Amino acid sequence: MFFVKTLEDHLTLHPSFFGSQAKQYVTDLLYTQNEGKNTGVMMIIAIIDVLDISEPKIMPGTGYAMYDISYRAIVWRPFRGEVVDGLVRNVVAGGFFVDVGGLNCFVSRQLIPKQLKYTVEGATPSFTDNIDQTIEHGSQVRLRIKGMRSEMNEMFAVGSIKEDYLGILMQ
Amino acid sequence: MRIYTPPGLAYPITVTKLLCREGEDVKENGPLFNYRYLAKREVWDEDVREHIEKELDHWADFESEVEGNVTSLDVKVGQVINGRVLVAEIEEPCKHEVQFGGMCANCGRDMNTVSYSTTVKNTERATINTVHGHTALLVSQAEASRADEEAKRRLLDSRKLSLVVDLDQTIIQATVDPTVGEWQEDESNPNHDAVKDVRKFQLVDEGLPGRGTWYYIKLRPGLKEFLQTIAQYYELHIYTMATRAYAKEISNIVDPDHKLFADRILSRDENGSMNSKNLKRLFPVDTKMVVIIDDRGDVWSWSPNLVKVYAYDFFVGIGDINSAFLPKQQALEARPKQPAKKEKGDGDDQTNDSAAASSGEVKSNGESSSAASKASTPASTPPATNGDVSAVDRMVSMAGKQDDGSLDEKAEEQDKTIAAQLADRPLLQKQKILDAADEEAKASPAAEAAVELLSGNGEKRDTPPPESSKYRHNLLQDDDTELEHLTQSLRNIHQAYFDSYDNDNLTPKSSRVAELRPGHSKKRSIDELERIPDAAIIMSSMKNRVLAGVHIVFSGVVPLGVDIHNHDLGIWAKSFGANISENIGKRTTHIIASAERRTAKVRQAAKRGGRIAIVNQNWLYACFSQWKRVDEDVFRIHTDATTNGKASKDLPDEIEGKGYSEVVLSSSEEEAAQTEDETDDSLTTGSKTPNGRLEIDTDLDELEQYAPTIERKDSSPTEEEHGEDWDSLNQELDEFMGSEADDSDTESVATATASDGIKTPPSQRKRKRDALVDGGEESAATDGDGEADEGESRLQKRKKEALARTTSLTNVANVPSTNGSTPAAEVSVDPGGGAAEVGPGIADGEQEEEDDLEAALAAEMERQSEEDGDAA
Repeated sequence: MFFVKTLEDHLTLHPSFFGSQAKQYVTDLLYTQNEGKNTGVMMIIAIIDVLDISEPKIMPGTGYAMYDISYRAIVWRPFRGEVVDGLVRNVVAGGFFVDVGGLNCFVSRQLIPKQLKYTVEGATPSFTDNIDQTIEHGSQVRLRIKGMRSEMNEMFAVGSIKEDYLGILMQ
Repeated sequence: MRIYTPPGLAYPITVTKLLCREGEDVKENGPLFNYRYLAKREVWDEDVREHIEKELDHWADFESEVEGNVTSLDVKVGQVINGRVLVAEIEEPCKHEVQFGGMCANCGRDMNTVSYSTTVKNTERATINTVHGHTALLVSQAEASRADEEAKRRLLDSRKLSLVVDLDQTIIQATVDPTVGEWQEDESNPNHDAVKDVRKFQLVDEGLPGRGTWYYIKLRPGLKEFLQTIAQYYELHIYTMATRAYAKEISNIVDPDHKLFADRILSRDENGSMNSKNLKRLFPVDTKMVVIIDDRGDVWSWSPNLVKVYAYDFFVGIGDINSAFLPKQQALEARPKQPAKKEKGDGDDQTNDSAAASSGEVKSNGESSSAASKASTPASTPPATNGDVSAVDRMVSMAGKQDDGSLDEKAEEQDKTIAAQLADRPLLQKQKILDAADEEAKASPAAEAAVELLSGNGEKRDTPPPESSKYRHNLLQDDDTELEHLTQSLRNIHQAYFDSYDNDNLTPKSSRVAELRPGHSKKRSIDELERIPDAAIIMSSMKNRVLAGVHIVFSGVVPLGVDIHNHDLGIWAKSFGANISENIGKRTTHIIASAERRTAKVRQAAKRGGRIAIVNQNWLYACFSQWKRVDEDVFRIHTDATTNGKASKDLPDEIEGKGYSEVVLSSSEEEAAQTEDETDDSLTTGSKTPNGRLEIDTDLDELEQYAPTIERKDSSPTEEEHGEDWDSLNQELDEFMGSEADDSDTESVATATASDGIKTPPSQRKRKRDALVDGGEESAATDGDGEADEGESRLQKRKKEALARTTSLTNVANVPSTNGSTPAAEVSVDPGGGAAEVGPGIADGEQEEEDDLEAALAAEMERQSEEDGDAA
């Protein structure tokens, strides 16, 4: 789910950047460091605006200046039970991997409807019912997140398409 | 899941009450039964008015660590439990057999949570990595077996096998040398033709600054057809030691539609080990249907499933840019430069390049020594002749320190290698050398030798040029045919496999029917799959037929001191059923020799008439790649060996026609015929190396330049000699010493030669030492009753004296103070012997051979003492 969230960050600036442009540097730094960052529970999609940049404080011992910055950003946070869309990245015998934005999602075979069978045609593996549904590399699928786990800078999820209205998206 | 009583309970315990029944559901940490146990506790005693310890009954609940349905409860009320005992069997709703990123992929629960009752962590239920691109997905053994069974059935149905394909130097070669890009742009460049279809992509390397590095990829000739054909018979997997990003880019190039490899790519990021490849990573259950193609046998520990291919080396000298993580490559002596069939017709070439060949040889020797001395050079450009990688080293590096530190180090090393390649542009340098030599060659016919030499050096690794042109303008040659043969052998393996499968399963239909029957199904299907043939066995038997009955002796092919049985070439040959021995015996059928050197073994073999085929390495490689015993005729070398040193018209040999060589040859010839001792062979080998020709090569400066420096320990035969060989050597020396009092006048000649200021290259010394052995025998024959009993002290003394003489002619009798620090000089002098040696300094023309002998002795001693000095 997407949110607009007010976030805070502490940025340090090297003394060589001190000057009238310092605030600009800090703002640039904020954008490059945080946009697209995966914090483990959410992903910062884009920074909307910078709300406040504090007066810098010189860090004892290093000479770096520290700014406290608060900003508004669009963040994406997946939840357990949420239904999301993603792109199939890899199909293996035990299921398939889906990229849901920055979230690695795995759909296990037990959570794939029984009529979809793992087949390897030529060399391309896919889950297919041989009628109209084929899940292969690059397919768009809709799935429900069954479980989530986050590690530092990484999110894992397991998903299911064994429900009505889930599975391959027909274009 | 079966629940046992954990070892930590206060045994003995008595079951007092069951808290659940069979068939009931139990929650996690839900009680199964109540029990009583005895424990000491401090209680207040009214009588003594203080706390005393007393054993009292306690009660507690035994809880289930998992939730699920209790299928059987195996304890009864009143039962006394004294140790680990089965309590209950609980069927869980989810066994967590597939886990992704620490979660169960089926129920979504976090597998890392641990509670007080946990005995087995949930993460330990699924530990097997089966998927190519991910390490986060783990499955249990049972799940892996199921998947494997399914995969096998699927493959059998489509009549395919699995083929694991290595990338670097097997199907492609990569370089980051920007020279390639420039050559691509520049149509006038002689290498343009070769590199015009080189593909490139950009990757951002973490360790390097900038926007990323361009990687230039050369596909092995015929790759597209090869993959298309093979994909009909095999399911293809990529298994590479490169990074994932790199592997992905390569697969985009070789398989743009993702129809061949799909996503079956395993890179170093997911491999788990940084320096070895393991089939178990991809096929954890069994490998009966797997075939591997790779250019390295050692990383696979010579797995029986491996089809080793000849390393593709298009970008000369670049090697495998991703091999920093692999154990150092064992030296294979360069594949002979010229295709065998050319050799007969090229007689005209050889007449004028005899000198060139000799200096060329020195050059390669020099390289080997410098390669040896620079043991720390990055492994990614393994020198062709780093014969110093001992088996132990390899074991150590194979076992490898897997800690993060060493991995970081290696990653850093690789970054450095890439940076170095970017900066040094080895290809450009090589081409420059080539061009320069080219220019020279135009100027003077004498310098065409240099061209020959340099191009030979450039091509030294293994790219045989299509035609042996004397003036080679372009460095890169694109003429590899390995894939054609590989296609054929892989098809043969496939054919043999399914023939065997069909024979074993004459009634596959009936078994499939049986499979459907309830109760039988599991058993039948497993039986059927267990009966499938093993590709490794089939391949072994196919390979063993190739060179069955062939008894091979290698001569002048493997660097000295490397055990042929542990050498790549030896292992490779053995995997094809050949027998390998060190010495020529009754059963020897082939001798693999180098065209440039006529070794004692070669002549010995030639003496036995046509029974032993003398061929060059290309014969072996042809057999390896074609999987059949190819006709030896085109690979025959030294066909005139029987003429014993007399050059035949149609095949001039560089060695022949030189009077000096003939002398040496004939003298060592006898010796070679007399003895089959390995030491002698290796020594005499030295005598026939082209280094022997140095004697008549007047261009000393050039020799100096190419001559290896003193750090030649690795390839020095003395280093590798066995103790007994030393003994025999010493004995010979001693015998010789006993005789030398008689002909002391020759000493001064040796001194004179030695002090002439000619720095003798070690290779030359080697030859001389050979002469020494000959001479030793000779003098032993004439004066066998010398002071052999004096033993090693005499040897030491001789050493020192030789040293003294070499240093200066004037102070023969004294120990020169400059050498005082060397251990040799510290040995006490035997005055008598010393006096005997200070003879008149008159050269005796008749004693030339003896003189040489002395010079050799002096040189050898000097070398040894220097080594000693180094060691000290």
